[in-house]
Amino acid sequence: MAFRERIEKNTGNIFRSSEEGKYFPVVSRYTAGVAGQKFLEEIKENEKIFGTRCSKCEITFVPAKLYCERCFARMEKEHWVDVGTRGTLYSYTVAYEEKDGSPKETPSIIGAIKLGDGLLFHWIKESSADDLEIGMEVDAVFKPKGERRGSLVDIDYFKPKK
Amino acid sequence: MRKVAVVGAGMTKFVRRALETPKELSFEATKAALDSCEMKLEDIECVAHGSAPDAFDGIHQKGEYLADGCGGWNKPTMRVFNGGATGVHAVCHGWYHVASGMFDTCLVVCEEKMSNAMPHAQGFFLTIFDHITERPLYPNLLWIFAMEMNRYMEAYGYTKEDMAIAGALIKNHALNHPAAQLTEKVTVEDILNSEPMAYPVYRLDVSPVSDGAVAVVLASEKVARRLTDKPVWIEGVGWNVDTSYWTNKDLYYPRYLEVAAKMAYDMAGIREPHKEINIAEPYDPFNYKALHHMEGLQLSPRGKTVELLRDGHFDLDGEIPMCPSGGLLGVGNPIAAAGTVKIAELFYQLRGEAGKRQVPGDPRLGVAHAWGDLMQASSVVVMGK
Repeated sequence: MAFRERIEKNTGNIFRSSEEGKYFPVVSRYTAGVAGQKFLEEIKENEKIFGTRCSKCEITFVPAKLYCERCFARMEKEHWVDVGTRGTLYSYTVAYEEKDGSPKETPSIIGAIKLGDGLLFHWIKESSADDLEIGMEVDAVFKPKGERRGSLVDIDYFKPKK
Repeated sequence: MRKVAVVGAGMTKFVRRALETPKELSFEATKAALDSCEMKLEDIECVAHGSAPDAFDGIHQKGEYLADGCGGWNKPTMRVFNGGATGVHAVCHGWYHVASGMFDTCLVVCEEKMSNAMPHAQGFFLTIFDHITERPLYPNLLWIFAMEMNRYMEAYGYTKEDMAIAGALIKNHALNHPAAQLTEKVTVEDILNSEPMAYPVYRLDVSPVSDGAVAVVLASEKVARRLTDKPVWIEGVGWNVDTSYWTNKDLYYPRYLEVAAKMAYDMAGIREPHKEINIAEPYDPFNYKALHHMEGLQLSPRGKTVELLRDGHFDLDGEIPMCPSGGLLGVGNPIAAAGTVKIAELFYQLRGEAGKRQVPGDPRLGVAHAWGDLMQASSVVVMGK
């Protein structure tokens, strides 16, 4: 007898947590936050990636933050710095399997891209994994303006510098 | 055990939906608390953090997520959470960090962002019920309170009007609280005429849904005396859990609170709390709950609480002012943060800094309480000057 059949022999007729039409549908709908909103607006409207620089701690946080986590200085307008759209590949991984364990048709590459003193995780495209080298420069590719909606994925992906 | 003082407090405004992320709310409260006692983050040795179920902020492991907003970067940081009881329990938790001698300063930060949950955080509460004996009925959290309120009123012959009088008293205190969500006076009639939700609970019998954060700074005696002329001492702490079967409890009497309160009173050397306590901040997510908890806190004899209420015993200028802050009913209910508001309130009141909410007559001793988990946990802190 398969595992699921054994289970359902005893529990098939009792409560399931998400029975259609009966459970309380609830989703999390987040706010970007004070810093997050400006960070995303700059991507959407201006194709710019911003960080915030704490001059006392000498750290440029990317993505931009409302405060320096080390000294609690509030990051005001003058702390916002355009870190450019070219970063360096700090690390990467290649995903070969879908979430359900089946093989991906095309493996996808996820990079940790260093911008300022922070890392942005994003897709790497227009390159095979074999051509990647840690430390190489990569450029952000933005979606066309009409398709951007104020999200991290308004940056479509990063690609190796040509 | 060493003496521990509260030396600073700060909070965000409580609102229905904040733009700030949970981290940013925590930062604002923490920064305000540090500023209030002219301390810097580098003066803080550890962080005691409190936040209720992860689901509300919509981030699992939110203790770790929130840590930097609570000033926890590169410091010993630990979260406690027991649902609604978190806000006062986090102060107990911070207290033993300092009382033990391990640390001289400790930030206690509590945050909750309820508005992420769409359409309503009630959807997350469903999953706290037993999956065999309760969830097949698709229960709602309000059912518990409705059952309790009904039984409580039945036990002593209290009426819905009695409960509404308590609600209006507490809510209107919040009009003088700068962080409060409530902005308009509420009358007993408003409460009685509000929309029925689950009988006998009507819309205005309940606290609102809120986003917000509160922080307090704790210090050992030697640090406290250096920082301020007006330290407020933590005289006693207590916490307790009753049975986790809410269906197996005396719904009319909060035994979970009696035991927690006695633990705190014993530590504080209080033998007759109803004579010694000058200010009470019982946990008040519902209006009846404030009265219910006044009985559990041993500040009012069982069954006589409405009589005392109607006699003005719990008014701002009464014998034991009840929720001078405006409580969860008026200031708002960002779950964990709502408990810590009560600690902050005692801090302001005992220093004589509560403005229009100030309890007259030089109050010397106050008690704050929060309640939660599966309706069976309580945490109590007694503070004095």
